[in-house]
Amino acid sequence: MSAEVELRGVSKTFGSVEALAPTDLSVPAGEILTVLGPSGCGKTTLLRLIAGLVSATAGTITVDGVDPARARAEKRIGFVPQAPALLPWRTVRANASLLLDLNPGRSPATPSHSVDELLDFVGLADFADARPHELSGGMQQRVGLVRAFALDAPLLLMDEPFAALDEITRTEMRHLLTRLREPHGATVVFVTHSISEATYLSDRVAVLSPRPGRVASIEEVTLGRPRRPELEDSPEFFEVTTRLRRALGIGAHAG
Amino acid sequence: MRVARSLIAPVTGVIALLVVWEAAVRIFDIRRFVLLAPSAIVTELFDQPGAYWSNTLVTARHMLIGLTVSLMIALVVGSAMAASRFVEEAAQPVLVVILVTPWVAYMTSIVIWLDFGERPILFLVAFTTFPVFAFGVVGGMRSADPAARELLASVDASRWEVLWRLRLPSALPALFTTGRFAIALALAAAYFAEGSALEPRGLGVIGRRATTDQTGGAEVLWTTIFCTAALGIVGLAIVSIGERLLLRWHASQRT
Repeated sequence: MSAEVELRGVSKTFGSVEALAPTDLSVPAGEILTVLGPSGCGKTTLLRLIAGLVSATAGTITVDGVDPARARAEKRIGFVPQAPALLPWRTVRANASLLLDLNPGRSPATPSHSVDELLDFVGLADFADARPHELSGGMQQRVGLVRAFALDAPLLLMDEPFAALDEITRTEMRHLLTRLREPHGATVVFVTHSISEATYLSDRVAVLSPRPGRVASIEEVTLGRPRRPELEDSPEFFEVTTRLRRALGIGAHAG
Repeated sequence: MRVARSLIAPVTGVIALLVVWEAAVRIFDIRRFVLLAPSAIVTELFDQPGAYWSNTLVTARHMLIGLTVSLMIALVVGSAMAASRFVEEAAQPVLVVILVTPWVAYMTSIVIWLDFGERPILFLVAFTTFPVFAFGVVGGMRSADPAARELLASVDASRWEVLWRLRLPSALPALFTTGRFAIALALAAAYFAEGSALEPRGLGVIGRRATTDQTGGAEVLWTTIFCTAALGIVGLAIVSIGERLLLRWHASQRT
């Protein structure tokens, strides 16, 4: 139920702009890795490369030993974009099952959780027949999460999914995501510019420095699991956020 | 209630126009060859309501079949244009030429080519209106949410799925907007083509014959114009109702 991701010497150049310098990175099965860095440091490019949405200028990427394009065709990637990208003409339930409805030959025969169960889990059971415009930003992004989890994909790729939300909702969302993933155990690559988000969610954090984007350091997050909201008030949590803040500072200095 | 309300406003507008028109003809004593009062048109209409009704139905049929064919062609052409910049740039000048070339210039050729009867009429209606729809299809399809496009790509949705699930629904609002222009254009084309194709029935041919009739010709001509306008109003009302029913999800329908 979880996939390995392997990047070897992967770089990406757009025209004459080097977005990502040659990068080696391996994400073991079942790990939550966040990619942390300031805006425009190539984190989204890195994620899009793993998703097979853009192709690398050099280097190789594999998802469970296969090319991202094939992993994509086999629906082994659950993608959560930055904007919720809900289709306004579909109900919440229909939006949540969108990825299952597409390319249906490759959908899981017996998903571990139905769309309705997942909607209930994220507190949207009463809104299943509503249209996206009737939902708040946080609720819309919860539909986005359900849509990705419904696929039962072994790899989840999340591109700053909570970046547009207010601080309070944003905190709730990372708590929800953690609980949503627990029974599932999928590998997650999560892009963010929020230090507390990276701390709460990850097993490891890849700190990126900008222009060209490169992995400045990899930080282990030595906090136990399961993680619960109280963790954010603990000294251990504070210790990790301090370390990440320093790593980001050092990264920017070196760049 | 909504449907009733969407009819009240246009009907009020038309009544206001008729009142001003009638008053102008009476106050300024305009000669009947220049402009006929609405009351004279109504008198003519009630003199032989059956004839005008059946010919209005014939013109409505020409408009409806022509527009349906036009929409089918536009969906194919527009989809191809939306899918490829090259096709779009190649097709654009052709569509513009079709839109700006006066019908009088080539109507005789169409009649010679397709023979007298309904076929040249349907051809002209479809031919002159499909560029309007095609531009709507292209613009509408291009407006599809880029984040949603990426999401569909993340599960390797086929071109057909992208078209059916995302691009076509995204194009609906633009299709309704361009549909209003297309209806007006289709009516004018049908009226003109009926007169040129020497079809025995249709408002256009009655109007054309009336222009050569010295006695009472003006009344007949203006009554066919009145019927054509009424047909247009009914057509636009149907588009409005369809828009309200099909685009409940769209921002334009939420006022």
